[in-house]
Amino acid sequence: MRFAPPNPLRIADRASGLNALSVRSYNERLVLSLLLQNEGISRMEIGEKTGLSAQTASVIVRSLEQEGLVSQGEAQRGRVGPPTIPLSLNPEGAYAVGVGFSRRRIDIALIDFIGTVRFHMQLPADEANPFPQSGDLLGAIRQAMTSLPVEARSRVAGIGLAVPDDVDTMAATRNGSSTSLKALQAEIEEQIKLPVFVQNDITAAAGGESMFGVAKPLNDYLFFYLGARLQSRLILNHQIYKGNSSASFDHGLMRLESELAMRGRPSEIIWSSSPEWPGLGEAYSTWLGECSNRLKTSISALTQFVEFRTVVLSSYAPQKIAEALCDDIGREFPAIEALPARVTISPKAVGAASLPFSSRFMIQ
Amino acid sequence: MRSVLCYGDSNTHGQIPGRGPLERYGPDERWPGILRSQLGPDWYVIEEGLSGRTTVHDDPIEGAHKNGRTYLRPCLQSHATLDLVIIMLGTNDLKIRFNKPPSEVAMGIGCLVYDIKELAPGPGGSTPEIMIVAPPPMQDDVKEWKSIFAGAPEKSRLLALEFEVLADSLELHFFDAGSVVSCSEADGFHIDAEAHRLLGTALARAVDAIGWSRST
Repeated sequence: MRFAPPNPLRIADRASGLNALSVRSYNERLVLSLLLQNEGISRMEIGEKTGLSAQTASVIVRSLEQEGLVSQGEAQRGRVGPPTIPLSLNPEGAYAVGVGFSRRRIDIALIDFIGTVRFHMQLPADEANPFPQSGDLLGAIRQAMTSLPVEARSRVAGIGLAVPDDVDTMAATRNGSSTSLKALQAEIEEQIKLPVFVQNDITAAAGGESMFGVAKPLNDYLFFYLGARLQSRLILNHQIYKGNSSASFDHGLMRLESELAMRGRPSEIIWSSSPEWPGLGEAYSTWLGECSNRLKTSISALTQFVEFRTVVLSSYAPQKIAEALCDDIGREFPAIEALPARVTISPKAVGAASLPFSSRFMIQ
Repeated sequence: MRSVLCYGDSNTHGQIPGRGPLERYGPDERWPGILRSQLGPDWYVIEEGLSGRTTVHDDPIEGAHKNGRTYLRPCLQSHATLDLVIIMLGTNDLKIRFNKPPSEVAMGIGCLVYDIKELAPGPGGSTPEIMIVAPPPMQDDVKEWKSIFAGAPEKSRLLALEFEVLADSLELHFFDAGSVVSCSEADGFHIDAEAHRLLGTALARAVDAIGWSRST
């Protein structure tokens, strides 16, 4: 038998903390992903689900605990069998900032490791100026980060941008200080010194819902995002597909806005993040009916090709709208469960903020 | 029923701080006893604590039988089948007569782990779960043991890190006793009854945290 000093690499890794972009091992990502999906599972269950030995799981969990990414709960004593010690992601273990670009506003959100929104603010935008002055955006990102206690700020894993596909075209048409997406990304990385990840806005919103919301346990579902337009994504075996034809329907809030305008009523409220809208009368019911029909048509068309049992409807608009639409879908398709999304404070920004987490901590 | 072997030195034996080697805490007071009551009737707790036990050294003064390595094999075979082996050793290796740095003490623990794996006294000839417990750091004042333990208190503060590096490297369960208890002021390197209670309770939790299936 031969002896060599043990390899000190892992300890050295740990001491460098979150800021070092070390390559996280596949097994560590596997354990973190499992804990995201199954809050409070034990080390034994981790072993069963991953095939890792108890001692290997022990080493990984110990290392993640020391980094503050995972925390151990109180022992659970059942009536039969040995007690189990539940493990969970530590909400304060990591944070991320997400920026969601929409036609009328830009949302900036800071979320914790389990997706809770800790900070949220908005900047105005319009179609001619999809990007704010980069100084405003950098200021908002800094504000999000300084909302954390000083000692937690080094735990921000990165910044995500959720951007509509046509945003570069929109930017090209704007006057004067136009910024391209790439330039904006580079500027944020340069100024904030954190990695910046970019994704399509609706795909990001679906990703956020898969990671933190009602879609967590779902392999397959159909995702709708109700914003200015009504847009959809199909999720099959955790992969998010973006169809060409169904890229966007003109039955979103822009349609409601024009219904209101036709009747000479103000429409500012529908672009705010107000949790309640006042009675909007006939314009609202007309629009809601059309929107519901559009959803049903899409679902009906898709069920002929793909099997899915769940529809998730995401929107920043008041929860009762998503609930009403989901009720409608449920009545029309008894075999399909329609769920309002859990992420309601700026789904795009939360989805954007989930990007650094998936890139740095999770298996893809 | 599952079996756990507690393999250690005088702090596993339950020697009372500042008293002679024959004075020992009672079976329910020392940490293996606390572990037994905490783990409950599903576990059989085996105590193997010998005062002066080292990891791998024959002690030229106290005797060759203090060598933790030569005794480990017969001990493992005597008590097989074992589901878990807890090793808490290292303090005695710091005696000046052995002249070993903390890293070398950790390598001594590594030898014991090697032997356990080779002997495979676990269920069905498997390797049992192995938990390395780093002993709590010594107090600076070790009273009349000062010359025997010259330089040892400082080294003892480095054992936990060295043991953890080893546990990571060999993929073992690890617990730092220094995270829950300190050595008694009475002699500077033994733990008192309250510390035995705290350590036994914390280790029971660490044993539970390994995760055990329902069937035995």
